[in-house]
Amino acid sequence: MSNVVNRGPKGNQLRLLSREEVEAVHNAALDVLKDTGIDCYSDKILGIFEEAGADVDREKRRVRIPEHLIDEAINKAPSKILFCGRDSKNDILLEGSRVYYGFGGTPTPLILDHRTDEFRRPGKKDMIETTLVGDALSNMDFMMTNAGVFDVPYEAEYLHEFEILLNYTQKPILYSAPSAYLAEKYLEMGAIVAGSLKELQRRPFIALYTEPASPLMLTKSQENLIGFAKANIPIAIAPMPLSGGTAPGTVMGSCVVGTSETLAAITLIQLVNPHAPVIYGGWGLTMDPRSGMCAYGSPEFAMGANAIMAQMARFYNLPSYGFGGCADGKLPGPQSGAEVMMNALVAGQSGVNLIHDCGYLAGGMVGSIEQAVIANEIVGMAKRIIQGVRVDDDHLAVDVIREVGPGGNFVTQKHTREHVGEFLLSELFDRNSFGTWQSGGAKDTRTVAKERIEKILKQHKPEPLGQEIRERLSEVVKEGERELTTKQRKAEG
Amino acid sequence: MKDTETRCRDEQEILEGLKQAVLNFEPDEAVEMAKKAIDDGIDPSEAIEKGVGRALSIVGKKYEEGELFIIHLAAAGEAGSRAINEVLKPEIEKRGDKAPSRGKIVIGTVSGDIHEIGKTIVSAMLLANGFEVIDLGRDVPVDTFVDKVRHESPHILGLSALLSTTIPIQRDVIEALKKEGLRDKVKVMVGGAPVTDEWAKEIGADAYGTDAIDAVNKAKSLVEAS
Repeated sequence: MSNVVNRGPKGNQLRLLSREEVEAVHNAALDVLKDTGIDCYSDKILGIFEEAGADVDREKRRVRIPEHLIDEAINKAPSKILFCGRDSKNDILLEGSRVYYGFGGTPTPLILDHRTDEFRRPGKKDMIETTLVGDALSNMDFMMTNAGVFDVPYEAEYLHEFEILLNYTQKPILYSAPSAYLAEKYLEMGAIVAGSLKELQRRPFIALYTEPASPLMLTKSQENLIGFAKANIPIAIAPMPLSGGTAPGTVMGSCVVGTSETLAAITLIQLVNPHAPVIYGGWGLTMDPRSGMCAYGSPEFAMGANAIMAQMARFYNLPSYGFGGCADGKLPGPQSGAEVMMNALVAGQSGVNLIHDCGYLAGGMVGSIEQAVIANEIVGMAKRIIQGVRVDDDHLAVDVIREVGPGGNFVTQKHTREHVGEFLLSELFDRNSFGTWQSGGAKDTRTVAKERIEKILKQHKPEPLGQEIRERLSEVVKEGERELTTKQRKAEG
Repeated sequence: MKDTETRCRDEQEILEGLKQAVLNFEPDEAVEMAKKAIDDGIDPSEAIEKGVGRALSIVGKKYEEGELFIIHLAAAGEAGSRAINEVLKPEIEKRGDKAPSRGKIVIGTVSGDIHEIGKTIVSAMLLANGFEVIDLGRDVPVDTFVDKVRHESPHILGLSALLSTTIPIQRDVIEALKKEGLRDKVKVMVGGAPVTDEWAKEIGADAYGTDAIDAVNKAKSLVEAS
């Protein structure tokens, strides 16, 4: 059968909030949306809320959303999404507390070049290599990016990036399109690859990442979700409230702002098209109070972005979106490794459906395939813990113990060979004897990761798209680039 | 009629009170103390320098030493700039004097970007350090920056951007200044989370401030060098 779905392990062991506390967050968000409201810097979006009966102050651009609109929206949004890969072996089922990890996030201004150890601005060639590596990593279930394309006119950056993703990965693609125009182009490109819009709708292998601005703003770029909502293609809502900066200076205050922004966006989406698929990312993120930077590697971030968010998502019975595998450390190493282990494991144990940003360094300023290869290994360990252990007679193995008896060994037992699959073997980390490690060149983890990258780049060849499809995609990008650059020049007069 | 010694002591106390209000992050109290200073006949320029300025330099030092954080820097900056903008500067203007200025800066977040927390902290710190600051806010069109440079003749133009999609606009502004023949009339500073030294060099900016304190120091050097 070709349509085997990758059903991720279920991780709902970690719960920080009681049922009452979950309801308290929900009620707080309802208060915020009804009393304070949100500002919409888009006439189109204001119009949609107005028509639905929300309290809209056109002059101040303020929308106050009554509880019933939010409740209706939550109820209409589907509780599960089959997020497809271009190749169906990569399909993932977003439901309940099933866990999947994603390669990278939104484009990063810099990459850490694994060949030269330099930080530099990435270009097209880098994003192609990066995408190939992500496509090859076995624990990466969906794709974003650990680079960006900055050697093209900046207005067209996202078009080129999206084209590369379509060409070089067969895994589900979640990507940012910060304008209605870009979102339409993504749909057009997705339909070209699928054969038609209808085929894309049947097997959505792309999803939109949309980012409301904190605190409590929907900008013109959120018009991007209108097209995706109408087309019934999944939308992940990803606001970035930072505690003490764009949100109150507490973890829960930040969660309330993130929940409110996400509920506002979900309401908007359901008003545009009832039952359109949404992925809940009601994050309460952390600003490091000392530096003012978003603290991806902090423990509070792990809780607000994952544990608490996932509990809210399950309360709403919606697929969820969180963070893991990302670090504030600037280089692969002790800090980054510890941060990634913490947030990847917390996200997994919280049962977050889509866990993104694997490979991010320096709080998202730097994408690194070297770090992504290391994160892939750590994610494997996290997934293994989430899977847990089996407890039955065969696994308790009393009969084997009797047979071997005191003083014997279990090395040669058939039972041992039969169950060797229970143990996750490291692909990257070294668990050899000291002597073996030393005579193998005494390589550090970064060296091994770099070798792995070169091997992947030499060997990994995802099924290419057909010649005609590739040409049509390239046409759309060229045409889009022309339109976007002339539009920009006109705007500049 | 107070004797000179008492006057001096009162003056010292009020300036100390203004300084403390800023150090305690109390904007309302800072405004009150600034008013008191005027009522007591203290020269507003002196109040800026010896009250607000001294407080901010203490806060800045503690920030650099890691004792205070960005949230303290922002709060002290707000208290200081409110005392200046609401009381001390209007008083100086009322007297027909010109506020002593270290230099004039036009600053704003570039078009397409509505993130301005960092820029506002930089504005407040510049103001508190004796610069004349024209803060254009957020989502500022390229043309507005160019017009302001033309008509205000600032020493420095500060361009902030938070998004990787909006930092290219910093380059656009610099290019627009070149096109209008204004590039050599102003020093350009850039800032924002995705900005690096390399980026600043690549687009031909004169300086990059890594944080608010660094931005003030760089601004001082740029003005002194010009």
